Amino acid sequence: MVLALGGLFYWGMQRNPKELPSVLAKERRPAPDFTLPVLPPYRKEWGETFKLSDHLGRKPIVLNFWASWCLPCYEEAPVLEATWRRYKDQVLFVGINTQDKEGDALRFIERFDLTFPQVFDPRGRVGVDYGMYGVPETFVIDREGRVVVRHAGAIDQAGLEKYLKEVLP
Amino acid sequence: MRAWVLVLFLALGVWAQENPASPPPDLPPEVFAIARELRCPVCQGESAAESNSGVAAEMRRLIAEMLQEGKTEEEIKAFFVDRYGEWILYEPPRRGVTLWVWVLPVLGLALLGLGLFTYFRPKKPLPPELLEEAERRLKEPPA
Repeated sequence: MVLALGGLFYWGMQRNPKELPSVLAKERRPAPDFTLPVLPPYRKEWGETFKLSDHLGRKPIVLNFWASWCLPCYEEAPVLEATWRRYKDQVLFVGINTQDKEGDALRFIERFDLTFPQVFDPRGRVGVDYGMYGVPETFVIDREGRVVVRHAGAIDQAGLEKYLKEVLP
Repeated sequence: MRAWVLVLFLALGVWAQENPASPPPDLPPEVFAIARELRCPVCQGESAAESNSGVAAEMRRLIAEMLQEGKTEEEIKAFFVDRYGEWILYEPPRRGVTLWVWVLPVLGLALLGLGLFTYFRPKKPLPPELLEEAERRLKEPPA
C-alpha cells in the first residue's frame, strides 16, 4: 500500500505541469480558420484582412502567437525572422499579435524588423480556437492544412528547423 | 450650522466609493457560474471566473456571447473541451480513469465503516458449558 502510494507520488513528481495537451496537434486536426485585420505595415502586400483558409493547402504554415508584453517573445522574434527569410519560398510564416495594443505591437515589429505578415487579434479569440495557453505559442500546419505541432514557450532555431523538416518534402 | 457642514462633507465621501466589485458589473452572473467550472489556461489553480488574465476575460466574453445565442451550459463547456481537452474542466468527468477520483473516497469510507463495525461489534458470550468447565478447573487443586 505504502509502496503503491509512493510510486504514484513519484510518478506525479516526474510529470511536467507545463507540458499541457494540445488537442489540435495530437489529433492532427484541420487548422481552425480565422479572418483577422492585417497590421498596417503589411497591408500593401497582404491586403486589409488575412483569411487563413485562403492559404491552407499550398505551403506549410507556421503560426506564431505573440504579444509585446511577453518577454520570451523578444527572445524568439529574431529566430522567427531569420528562419522566415531562409524558408520564405517553402513555408508561410504568420504572426498573430494577441491581447495587445496596436501601438505597442507596431513598436515591437519595428524593433525586430519583422517582414512576415502580422495580423491583429486584440481579444485573443483565435487563441481560444487553437487551445492556446499563453504567449508565445507556435503552431505548425502541414500542406494538407492540419495542425501537426504545438510549441509552447519561446522557440529556438534548432527546434523550429526540426519542426519544419517534418512538414517539408 | 458647523455640524451640518461636517455632515455634508462626510456625505460627499459616498460618491468617492466605487461600486462593490463583486459581482463584476460587465457580465451577467450566469456567465460567471459557467466560468467558475472552467480552468483559466494561463493560471495556476484559478478558474476562468476569478482570473483577470486576457484569456480568462476572453473566455467570459465568449460564454456571454454563446449564452445570448441561446446555447446551453453543456454546449458551452463542450466548446471549450473541444479546444483544450478535458483538462479545462475543473471537475474531472465521471467516467474512464477519472471516475476513480469520484469512486475511491466513497469506497474508502465504506471500508472504514466496515472495519469499525467489525471492531466494535458486541462479542458473543461464551457457551455456558465452556464457562462451567473453566470454573471447575479453577477450583481444582493444581496437580
